[in-house]
Amino acid sequence: MYEGIRSPAVHMPKTMNDLVSASTRFPNATFWAGGTFIMSRHDYYPTRESNDIISLGEVPELKRINRTDRYLEIGSMVTFEQMLTVGKQVLPGLLQTTLEGTATKIIRKQMTIGGAICTPQSRLSLPGTLSALQAEIEVKTCLGQKTETRWIDINRLYDRHGTLQLKKNDLVTRIRLGFERENFSSFICAGNPMINPEETVMLSFACFYNQAVINRFRMCLTFPTTMFLIPHEIDMMMHGTMLPLSTQQIDRVVRSIMEGVFSSNEHEIPAIQLERARRFVESAMHELNAQSLSER
Amino acid sequence: MKIECTIDNKHVLLTVNSNKPLNLILMDELETSHMETRCRDGNCGNCVVLLQDEAVLSCLIPAFRLKGAKIVTFEGYQKSRFWHDLERAYEDTGSHPCPHCYASKTLIFESLLQTVVKSESGPSHDEEPDETTIVREVGLNKCPCLDAHEILDIFRAAAAYRRRRRVRRY
Repeated sequence: MYEGIRSPAVHMPKTMNDLVSASTRFPNATFWAGGTFIMSRHDYYPTRESNDIISLGEVPELKRINRTDRYLEIGSMVTFEQMLTVGKQVLPGLLQTTLEGTATKIIRKQMTIGGAICTPQSRLSLPGTLSALQAEIEVKTCLGQKTETRWIDINRLYDRHGTLQLKKNDLVTRIRLGFERENFSSFICAGNPMINPEETVMLSFACFYNQAVINRFRMCLTFPTTMFLIPHEIDMMMHGTMLPLSTQQIDRVVRSIMEGVFSSNEHEIPAIQLERARRFVESAMHELNAQSLSER
Repeated sequence: MKIECTIDNKHVLLTVNSNKPLNLILMDELETSHMETRCRDGNCGNCVVLLQDEAVLSCLIPAFRLKGAKIVTFEGYQKSRFWHDLERAYEDTGSHPCPHCYASKTLIFESLLQTVVKSESGPSHDEEPDETTIVREVGLNKCPCLDAHEILDIFRAAAAYRRRRRVRRY
């Protein structure tokens, strides 16, 4: 059954310098983080085409969680379960809910934040949440023996279909989150992005308001294989709006988002995803209203 | 790739493809009888083993991660004294996982019981799991043979035995 199957060479760099040099020497190698996504593909093993592997698990810089005055910086090899141990005071509520709602503890101990961001074919729950929280990503580009480091907004990592925009020699090393806490957040996921991505919809929503006036309204709708929608115009539309929202305002938000869904995707989107997306947005708005009323 | 590791307290030297999943290694190379899965995508939850004393889905562990690792399959676990806590809990509650998922669910229960012991023995990142967590973790194995009440009853009974075991040791 396994005749002719090649055993890929595995490189295990122990420092960032080793990692850079390994990625330069083996440009076609696959970066291996937790491996949960790669190994859960049906065609993972046995396969005749297996690239060499660069395992990121032994680079200590990628496993650190740093707290500065302004930011929380998380290494890309930090697992979901390790992030949850950081504590509710430090971790934004939306991120905490998203992590807890992803898989089970047994799998979360293996899933890494960098791996969840860089899955090649489909978008999972984390990118949407990090986008709603306006996270920044540190990307190192390996240029021979040199590296170029830059911080970019997470939204620039994907196009509107959710396709990863990283080049082969790019490596996500850290994720940075501000300490400003959202007043209201909601993470809703229906379906399983790993098993039935064509039916799954995920909504991440963070709202910042002060004395019932909305300052920031960040939403991200993820359809795992077809769309990664961040409706910026809604943020502008809702800026300065008083809470609670009226039925007309909720309708306007829902309509505007659904128009965005249709206009940003030329493929036919399954009806179940459209229905779920519509209901999730409505539900999040009503929850926001409920919270704002309870704070009066 | 040559890999040295310990499987069920036996030191083994494996020559396998570096990216071969652990479940296939256990089934093909070592002919582990309790490993039934061939789902290959982490969905059935039937291939749980203990890796460094923590439950993992063996279909998600590649061979190159096994260098020097300590792996315990259900066959090895049955020889440990901790197995009796769960065996007695199954008898006390009258609820058993079905033969198809018995090994896997038992190892998931074991990993949950370990957090009970850790959380009681001092400051630890592992908190004692709440009811939702217990049901969810056991639900990693998709077999519907146990309902939520049965899962919680088994866990409580086994946790009581495990606590008594710790008290006796002191």
